[in-house]
Amino acid sequence: MSGSLQNLSGLDRVIHEPARLMLVALLSSVESADFLFLLKESGLTKGNLSVHLSRLEEAGYLRVDKTFQGKIPHTEYSLTAKGRTAFNEYRKKLDPIIRRHSKPAKL
Amino acid sequence: MDIQIDAALKRARGYWFIDGFTEMAAGGLFVVLAGILLFSGTMPQASFPGWFLSVTSEIVIAKLIGILVAILILWWLKDHFTYPRTGFVRGKRVTATQVFVIIRSFILFLLLPILALLAASLLIASAPTVLASMPAWFPVGLGLIWGGVYWLAGEWMGLRRFRLLAVMMVLTGIAIGVWQFAMGLPTFPSNIQSGIFRPIVLETIHRTLIRLGFLILISGVVLMISGLVTFLRYRKENPTPNAEES
Repeated sequence: MSGSLQNLSGLDRVIHEPARLMLVALLSSVESADFLFLLKESGLTKGNLSVHLSRLEEAGYLRVDKTFQGKIPHTEYSLTAKGRTAFNEYRKKLDPIIRRHSKPAKL
Repeated sequence: MDIQIDAALKRARGYWFIDGFTEMAAGGLFVVLAGILLFSGTMPQASFPGWFLSVTSEIVIAKLIGILVAILILWWLKDHFTYPRTGFVRGKRVTATQVFVIIRSFILFLLLPILALLAASLLIASAPTVLASMPAWFPVGLGLIWGGVYWLAGEWMGLRRFRLLAVMMVLTGIAIGVWQFAMGLPTFPSNIQSGIFRPIVLETIHRTLIRLGFLILISGVVLMISGLVTFLRYRKENPTPNAEES
């Protein structure tokens, strides 16, 4: 097995799940976002989104801030420093694999 | 997969521009500034320094008030229109390193090539010739700078319409430059005598500023149209939350 393929087994499984990867990617380029934004952008159902957000929170990758705007509850989600590091590490590991195996095979 | 991650990153970065409000506000401000420049150009002027001072002070005041008003209106619109429809996003704080990288890229990729072109033209032609052709090359240069900024922003946020705006701004700058060449540029005496030279220089600067007014006006109108089209599409794709539920 090539070195780059061995990297695959070392990928962070919390982030590797496609829906969670999408959520982490969305949150990585902003300070924070609310549930509605993540719902619209990810295309997940409300239930599914809640489950994935909880999983990320359990892993320590996500911080949840609950506030009130007037009388309306407002929840913002942001990546923790651990979450950002994990996402950057994930991309670093994935990049060489994609680059190496997207090249056409030599005959 | 990496392409999808990249697309998600860009979508989140460009969220501020999703509704077209910012382009409409920026376009409106451009139109006001161009209006001041073009209107003052048609007024009878006592002296060039007096005219220049009054125009620059009016523009600075209009810019400051315009930016403040635009920010307040944008916040209100986002709060009442965008966030209830597609959610709230708090933008990333810009770090000092990022500011440095932006300024460095701006200087390296936009300002330096333009200055190099200017220096090269000074080597080829005489200073009075370059100065005389200022009404032609200045709008071209500014169009290129704006176009470059919009292109880079479009790449950064994955907004195709920003690339289109960039092309429009460059083309507008070039069109004004060509128009000035076609009109004929002021001729400078080869033997520079301060008494004769000064009024021609002032006339050239005056003409350049008025032509810049056209560039600002056209860019403003293009920005407003782009913002309006984006807004209409956004409103169609994202109905009010109550309408969506029913």
